[in-house]
Amino acid sequence: MVDAMRSQRSLRAIVGSLALAAILFQATAVVVREGHAVLITRFGRPLRAATESGLHWKLPWPVDQVTMLDMRRRVYETGLTEMLTRDKKNIIARTFVVWRIGNALTFIQAIGSSSGAEAKLDGLLTNAAIGTLGGHDLSALVSTNPADLQVDSIESELLSSTAPMALQNYGVAIEEIRIERLALPTENVAAVFEQMRAERRQFAAKYQAEGDQAASKIHSEADLEAARIRAKGAEETARIRGEAAAKVAKIYADAHRTDPELYRFTRSLDSLTKLVTGNTTLILRTDSEPFSLLQSQGHK
Amino acid sequence: MRERGLPSEVRRLAEPVTRLLDGAWQRMHWWIALMAASYALSGITVVKPDEVAVILRWGRLVGEVPALQEHGAGLLFAFPRPMDEVVRVPVKHVWEVTVNTLDSEGHPWDAYGSALDPVKQGYALTGDQNIVHVAMVARYRVRDAAEWAFQGPKAERVLLTEVTAAMVRSLGEMKVDQVLADGRKKLITTVTRRAQSGLDASHSGIELSSLELTRLGPPRALAPEFDAVQSAFIGAQTKQNEAQGFAQSVIPQAQAEADAAVQNARGTAEGDLASARGEAESFLVLNREYRRNPEVVRERLYRDAVDRAIAGAAEVQWIPPPVGGSYHGFRITVNPSDEPKEITDSISEGAPSSSPPAPLPLSAVGGETDE
Repeated sequence: MVDAMRSQRSLRAIVGSLALAAILFQATAVVVREGHAVLITRFGRPLRAATESGLHWKLPWPVDQVTMLDMRRRVYETGLTEMLTRDKKNIIARTFVVWRIGNALTFIQAIGSSSGAEAKLDGLLTNAAIGTLGGHDLSALVSTNPADLQVDSIESELLSSTAPMALQNYGVAIEEIRIERLALPTENVAAVFEQMRAERRQFAAKYQAEGDQAASKIHSEADLEAARIRAKGAEETARIRGEAAAKVAKIYADAHRTDPELYRFTRSLDSLTKLVTGNTTLILRTDSEPFSLLQSQGHK
Repeated sequence: MRERGLPSEVRRLAEPVTRLLDGAWQRMHWWIALMAASYALSGITVVKPDEVAVILRWGRLVGEVPALQEHGAGLLFAFPRPMDEVVRVPVKHVWEVTVNTLDSEGHPWDAYGSALDPVKQGYALTGDQNIVHVAMVARYRVRDAAEWAFQGPKAERVLLTEVTAAMVRSLGEMKVDQVLADGRKKLITTVTRRAQSGLDASHSGIELSSLELTRLGPPRALAPEFDAVQSAFIGAQTKQNEAQGFAQSVIPQAQAEADAAVQNARGTAEGDLASARGEAESFLVLNREYRRNPEVVRERLYRDAVDRAIAGAAEVQWIPPPVGGSYHGFRITVNPSDEPKEITDSISEGAPSSSPPAPLPLSAVGGETDE
């Protein structure tokens, strides 16, 4: 019984002190989670901002109160705003910013909530965009000539014209500004469509003409090449024939030179036999060979 | 000990609580011990194979650099809440985001018209101020768990805006024909690079692992014109291919013809030479024989020729020799249908027939006179 009483008493002591410690901890400790900050106010007056993550301390309620702030970066897109470039062209642009709370106290005092911050940012960014793009030609944003494009400098211009003011006035740190969309006013789209159509037609005609030209070039080059090959062949043929004729003539000349008289005689005989064909009528005198043989036989 | 010293009011107030505790301890002390033990072990976490875990101690990240902050798969020992908080991040998982901020799909009511509302229908301008629609699918995964969880903006939101901005900028420096033809790959590379540098700059902790274009084309209202260009291009290619085909057939054909002609000429030349050599050889042989026996050879040649002539002729007519050395009004009829041919003195100057190898005393009438 005495043991039971003693253990009950020590249990009571443990539980009681644990409960007390928990209550005390809850009332005075401030756990600042990574990516967050805590603003501690004393009787409503801002005391300090605990931006370091970890364990912080405060006096218990109602003396000190805490406001938790999400310090993570956020993305905000502005609305699509129509603006005029330096070369007097209407363009619709939208930018987006990556921002976070830069000064917790200023932020709480000037804005209070993140949706309020975005309303403030929208005005600031739209004004900056109108101002900055008004100082550049459209070709600084959209061009096929790399020398014209100045997107990087436009974006850094936008950043430098908004970031210091946003931090000072609203406690908002703007880390990045980019042009997210570029579009044309609805009434200009029809003109662009017409221009695109004309350009397409021009391209179609160009391709067609180029194709025809290239094809006929290939055709005529092939014809020319073929003719050249044939001519070369003919030249070669003629050369071979000529050489052969010269050789033949030399062979004959060499042979016939040995006895020109016999040559003339055999040539005459050749001519004779060649002259007489299957439909030739020969008229011979009876005193010529070989009939004369019979005649002389008969006379004798 | 301390309770003994407490004022009686407090003791009276705490009376129901102490009674409850005493009763609970008496009946369920095992259960209480078990609950206390399981609370003490509640910080031990299982980290799955596709995850890494980071520990927040009193809200602060444990470890200075990502390598020390991130714990891989397996059992992770941590203190129970509220001291430690384990945050698990699925770093190997790949998420997919459809980016259709620059696409007009889903607004068919005036996609065919000649107007585009930039608020409702997304599009981008190319460097040569043409309008194109782009739809993309971006895939990403977490690269830096701590950055992703505690510093960066919402992943999908930042991805959508960064990819859109990168696409708008990259299209703004390219020609529409380049974009629609062979520039796709370059476009994807540029956009991925730009978007990734934006994601890094905004401390998003994510990595754009792939970007896929699901649509890239002109407005539907202009599709016929773009198609016409495409078919003109293909038509031009076809014409060129046909011409190439013609060239590839006509040149070898000409080459073959030329080769054949040359070969033919060579053959003929060889033949001519061979027959010339043969004839020359036979002439020399004949000549040798002739030198040895001129009369006989000459006679034989002459008679052979006359025999061949007579044998080859269609008809042979014999006429008597002229009386007194010339013909006077002598007629022969070769063909009755023909007009009679008169042999006049002019052809009658034949040499005396006494010497056999005399010039040939004959006349030949061509075949055409027969018909």
